[in-house]
Amino acid sequence: MRNLLNFLMKYSTWFVFTFYVLVSLILLFSFNSYQGSVYLTSANAVTGTINESMSEVTGYFNLRQINRELQQSNASLANEVLNLKNEIKHLRTLVDDSIPYSRFPKRFDFETASVINNSTRHPRNYFTINKGSADGIAPGMGIVDQNGVVGIVNVCGKHTSRVISVLTKDQHFSVKLKGTQFVGSLTWKEKDPGTAWVEEIPRHARYRIGDTIVTSGFSTTFPEGIPVGVVMSQVHGSDNNFFTLKIKLSSDFNNLTTVRVIKDNLKAELDSLSLFDRDGD
Amino acid sequence: MDKRIALHISILFISILAAQVLICNHILLFGVAMPLITVYFIARTPIGINRNILLTLAFLLGLAVDICSDTPGLNALACTLAAAMRRPVFFAYVQNDDRVKDIIPNIRTLGIADYCKYLLTLVAIYCLMIFSIEYFSFADIKEIAVLTSCSTILTFVLLLGLDSLVTVRRERH
Repeated sequence: MRNLLNFLMKYSTWFVFTFYVLVSLILLFSFNSYQGSVYLTSANAVTGTINESMSEVTGYFNLRQINRELQQSNASLANEVLNLKNEIKHLRTLVDDSIPYSRFPKRFDFETASVINNSTRHPRNYFTINKGSADGIAPGMGIVDQNGVVGIVNVCGKHTSRVISVLTKDQHFSVKLKGTQFVGSLTWKEKDPGTAWVEEIPRHARYRIGDTIVTSGFSTTFPEGIPVGVVMSQVHGSDNNFFTLKIKLSSDFNNLTTVRVIKDNLKAELDSLSLFDRDGD
Repeated sequence: MDKRIALHISILFISILAAQVLICNHILLFGVAMPLITVYFIARTPIGINRNILLTLAFLLGLAVDICSDTPGLNALACTLAAAMRRPVFFAYVQNDDRVKDIIPNIRTLGIADYCKYLLTLVAIYCLMIFSIEYFSFADIKEIAVLTSCSTILTFVLLLGLDSLVTVRRERH
């Protein structure tokens, strides 16, 4: 206590001086409109700069949560776009007559998941996601990220699933040149995780370097039109009637973090039809 | 503080306040020179006075001038800052020893040269404070410089004249 009093006594002049200066400044800024406005403007500029710097730093802290929310929102929007596309396609085929129109059923749903394990160096690559059968995931479902196709669900646990990556030798995906009906088969052959091959493109197909390759939609795994990559060059295939395209994959397989699982609501119906066809044969 | 010094300070306080508010506030020579004699009170208080008392008296004088001039805080701030700088300014020109602690700065006690330097510096600081606070912007630095220079010269000449009058009267008595 005595030390405190000694300290206060020793520096009393500074305290008194600071007090009077503060009182004067308060009077100056409160009762003089010009000085008050200059002070407020400067204070606002300083506060603005500080807040901006603070926000630049703290903005990074919530990126994981923001990314998750954006992915969910993206999935829901993609879902809506696909369903609307299907609906439009269906409506275009309707004959304008007295047959009552029933709304086209919603076909695809998306489930957001995080990649918890990934490999790109092996001839057959797999990655694991943090959603499983408890979340409605089933083998055969397609997986996409924000850039395009990345794989197909292979095995499902209760809360995790193993996914066959596009970077898997001998695994084929049905794809086509965007805006055309020229279908080919996507396959991965080499150790470069950035490039793949589209085989069996008909010889009469017209394309240009940089054209987009998208999913064909000829399966229940992926809806039509999901990006896969862009054409880099052409290589000659073994058959003279077809050629092979070398493509640059859209997705960065070394940085897979959040993906979406595609659930086809018509899968059971379509599968039962194919069984019926087989039984019929 | 003995009665003589208390009386000296009281008379100085009231006379300076009255002179500044009633006369000097209405003068603006050539549109650039304003007599700011409030600083005379700070300059003429005894060197040995308690610094807290000096700061308080300076603040109160500035506040009184502000109330009468409708400029709240302007003179109070300038007077407080000038009072805080009074000691360093004084000892920049006068050697610090025991003899000077009880003196009241004037021509007789300091000599004309030291007193003039001391008073001119203090007046210049005070004028600079007043115009800087009043304009409150670096954009008007030229105007601040002109007003400060002219007002410093006018105030200094006036205060020196006042000092001469007081000294002559005292010598006659």
